[in-house]
Amino acid sequence: MQVWLPLALLLSLGVTHSLGQNDLGELPVPRGLTLQSNLPEQTLFLTWASDSSHFDVEIFHTELMNVVLNETVAVQANPSTGQHGWSWHSPLPLECTSHSVHIRARNQQTVSQWSPFQTIPGSDIPEKAGSQMFPQDKMVAVGSNMTFCCIVGENKDFDRILYKGQEMSATRLSRRTYAISVTNQPPSGNTSTNVVCSSQRGILTGAVVFVGYPPGDESLVCETRDLTSAECSWKKGRDTHLRKKLSRTNYTLNGRDCLEANEGKIFRCNWTVWDGNWTLVARNPLGTVQLTDSARLTDRVHLLAPVNVTAVDVKAWNATLQWSWSVAAYKKLDMICQLRLTGHEQFITHNYSSMGLSSVVLEGLWPDVDYTVSVCCGSLHSFWKWGDENGPYRIHTKMDRPDSPDIWIWMDGENTGHVLWKPLSVMESHGALDGYEVSHSTAEEDRWTTVSLPRDDFSYPITLNNSSNITIAVAARNPAGLSQLSTMTAPVYRADSQVSVSELLGTDGGFNLSWQPYANASRGYVVEWVPSGCSDLCPVHWEKVPESNSSIKVQSVSLEAGVRYTISVYVLSAGAPVLLQRWHGYTQEMIPSQSVGELSANQVGPDVLLSWKAIAMEQQRGFIRGYTIYLANATRLELIGNMSDPKVRLYRVRSLSLGSYKFIVKAYTSAGEDTGSTVAIKLEMDTDMLVVGIVVSLGAMFCCLILISIFCYKKREWVNKAFYPKIPGPKVSGDWSSPQGPLDVKPSPHSLVHIEETPEWEFRKKVLVPVPEEEESENENIEADTDEPTFLRYYNQVVGDSSHSNHISDSSGSSAASVGSTQTEITYTGLQSPTSSQGAYGGGGYKPQMQSAAGPAEPQLEFVPDFQEESLNMGYKPQCSRQFDSPDVGNISGSLGSPTSVTSSQFLLPESSEEKPQPSNTWFHNLLSGKS
Amino acid sequence: MDRTAELDASVPGRSAAALARLLHRDCTRLLELYKERESFLSHHVPEGERLVTLALCPEALTTAEQVGHVRSALRRCKELLECLITREVEEMGKELEGEYESLRMTVKDRLGHFVHSTGALLENGEDGCPPSPNFECAEGQDEVEGSGSFAAKLWTYRVLLELIHWTDSACQTLHLFHTEKQGQQQLL
Repeated sequence: MQVWLPLALLLSLGVTHSLGQNDLGELPVPRGLTLQSNLPEQTLFLTWASDSSHFDVEIFHTELMNVVLNETVAVQANPSTGQHGWSWHSPLPLECTSHSVHIRARNQQTVSQWSPFQTIPGSDIPEKAGSQMFPQDKMVAVGSNMTFCCIVGENKDFDRILYKGQEMSATRLSRRTYAISVTNQPPSGNTSTNVVCSSQRGILTGAVVFVGYPPGDESLVCETRDLTSAECSWKKGRDTHLRKKLSRTNYTLNGRDCLEANEGKIFRCNWTVWDGNWTLVARNPLGTVQLTDSARLTDRVHLLAPVNVTAVDVKAWNATLQWSWSVAAYKKLDMICQLRLTGHEQFITHNYSSMGLSSVVLEGLWPDVDYTVSVCCGSLHSFWKWGDENGPYRIHTKMDRPDSPDIWIWMDGENTGHVLWKPLSVMESHGALDGYEVSHSTAEEDRWTTVSLPRDDFSYPITLNNSSNITIAVAARNPAGLSQLSTMTAPVYRADSQVSVSELLGTDGGFNLSWQPYANASRGYVVEWVPSGCSDLCPVHWEKVPESNSSIKVQSVSLEAGVRYTISVYVLSAGAPVLLQRWHGYTQEMIPSQSVGELSANQVGPDVLLSWKAIAMEQQRGFIRGYTIYLANATRLELIGNMSDPKVRLYRVRSLSLGSYKFIVKAYTSAGEDTGSTVAIKLEMDTDMLVVGIVVSLGAMFCCLILISIFCYKKREWVNKAFYPKIPGPKVSGDWSSPQGPLDVKPSPHSLVHIEETPEWEFRKKVLVPVPEEEESENENIEADTDEPTFLRYYNQVVGDSSHSNHISDSSGSSAASVGSTQTEITYTGLQSPTSSQGAYGGGGYKPQMQSAAGPAEPQLEFVPDFQEESLNMGYKPQCSRQFDSPDVGNISGSLGSPTSVTSSQFLLPESSEEKPQPSNTWFHNLLSGKS
Repeated sequence: MDRTAELDASVPGRSAAALARLLHRDCTRLLELYKERESFLSHHVPEGERLVTLALCPEALTTAEQVGHVRSALRRCKELLECLITREVEEMGKELEGEYESLRMTVKDRLGHFVHSTGALLENGEDGCPPSPNFECAEGQDEVEGSGSFAAKLWTYRVLLELIHWTDSACQTLHLFHTEKQGQQQLL
């Protein structure tokens, strides 16, 4: 209990002390708060009196009491006045609305009471009823931020604020004031940036702001032109975008205004004396730039241009130029002058130096050439820069004798040729040419014959005598005189056939030539090229090569692609030029411009022979490497031949079938094929051969017939016996008209083979009788059970004397006994028609197989009814009258497929059937066996 | 045809009417150029009264009096234009030499010529309007709300509108004047 009492006492003391510091009455309220505004600077200046040094300041927008600032500041009192002063820069123009300020003193956590409000009225008070915008005509740097406010007139509505045509977000500051904030402003346009405040009805008011840059000038340089004064210049910097007259950049040099520069036209400032140090100040409302330069006068001499430049002595190869100086001090200056000559497509500079230089001799000029000359000079020592240039001045040099022309003699025949010379250039003619003089002499003549030619002639024809060489001399003439003579002896003509000619292909539009050096080439070589095959007015070109060289690249605009040139190298020595080597070449091969000519196609049997003529050399445009032959189909070309030898111009297309063909022949160079020539041909049968074949065949046949006829005639007796044996008369025993009784023979319903034995024949015969197809169709059921062919069926039987009678008797009731026999030996001796097979056979003896020609109808008519009536009882049955639905069908079918033995020793030839074909083996067999 | 042309050429007011038409075309072009420079004026229609009003001149009864009326108005317009040019030169200098700058000088010169030529037409005392008081550049600009460059732009715009209005009036009036004079000569 005693411990808690002191603790409680201490706590009570502490509480009592703290309550005393929070007592508001302890810090006095600041007194005499006054406000002063600087509207253009948007600054508010506060003054008050107080013993404290720390104060809380609060600033409000009066009307809506929005807090603009709440800040604690430390402000010491002015010792002389005892007043505290503090300024505040408002982001908003102070005119926009009224501002109210109050302050209180602070001592750490202790504060005084707030002072009474002090208010600075804005322009939105009722007394100012019109519309206004602030700030007006402000000038700011690019990228700065600004706040604009629009005070709407009384009884007017507010709609929007546009900055540079763009609507901005507006904030209401009071009953009539709206504000926008613009950040990072871009530079103004032609005049200024417009800020427009509008109502629904139109523009209320507005303001402009000038947004630009501070000066950006740089590189101040001072120099002297007269060796006394200074002329300073600099580079203008970036556009400040400040167009108003009063906001343009102002320049001062060493403290003096630069009037010329301030007018904005030039950026130069003159100084009457050479100070050695200069300071240029460039200033505009947004900033200032200071540039300095320092130099000695002799280091910055920039001479003026010389005056009165004249050419006092102009010759063919040089000229003297004089001038004077407008500044007397230059005469004592060591200077260097540069003369720049332009003439005859050349630009030449010459430098001359001396003290006060005012005259030079121009060397290296060419006669009769127009030159323009300009002169500029500089200080020789401590050269700064070339001075101003004068001119240009014109100089025309005088003429001189021309150079000797470059000549060559081109021989186009054994005794004819042309003297050629190249036109002289301006550099060679030394003046306008009047013409040429051509002289010639031979070894026999000890004199020169001279001919004058106009200046447009560059050739002269010559004719050689066989006896001697001719020497030519050519000279050019101009008003200044005659050139030295160019002489040459005519070379010996060599045709291509007389020399070895090589092929040559160019590169890069020219020819690379090289040859074996020639020991006697004392005057070098001449390379001549001319289009091959050219005659008369040929473009002959040549190039002379020193004797030390044995190669050259012929590169000339005269060379054309696709043109064949004959290039010759001649050796020049004391005598006539000697041909050393020759080529035919193309600078660039092209495809032939023309196709092969006279293409023809000829049929040779099944082959086609194509032939054509070569392309003319002018149209070849390259070395012809061969020909390709195409067969043109409907849609494409089929390559059928490639002839790599261009000399061969024949091609045989082999083994073609009959029809129409179209062939295309194309010549090709290394550049490709030409468009091709086309020929069409229609392959037809060879009518001559056909006729010959037919005639030969007919002839052979005719011969055979003759031979056969002769043979038959010679062997007519044998033929008669072989084919027409004597037929004995019939022996009729008994009643022929009535059957002798039933025959025990059942011939096959298909066909019957009647084999009769002919006594005269010693060998056995087999006779086959084809079965008519009509019968076969009626016996389809039967055919299904046989292995024999359906259209022809034979009943084979071995013919024998001993089996004849047995066979007849056995076959009547047991034909099945022969079914399946495979031992039958068959000899085909003849075929008997079904009609003839209808002939019935009675008992033994000869019986005609057919009705006689005398009365075949009656017996047959009589026979058929009898047969039909007695068919069930009679052994003999006519083949044509079989009835398949008869009870005997079963028996017939039982004998199908088995040969039926019929004895026959006689040909079954009808008497009236001589036209019937006879088996050849019979008479042939007899022939071979020697029977007649 | 030639006779008609000669007669037409000798009728008073013909050249003045042609000059008025030319002026109207020039002033229209001048306003276009100014709108190109100050695009915010493209659709602006100024409020308030005209800058040039001739309250002292009674309502014209005759065509000749109407000619005198428009002559007085254009004389005032010329003064306004001279004031405008002076102000712009003071502000921007003479360095700007675009089409607008050259055309405004042309219009000023032609306005002077127009005032002179119409004055010759009215030498017989048909101009019933009293002479206008001397014009001061400061006058008129107070009518534009606000101050500074923006107000000057609005004022320039209004001056150019006045020029177009009064040159158009001059065209119509002089055409009527010319037609009447031509009719009178044909009657004679």
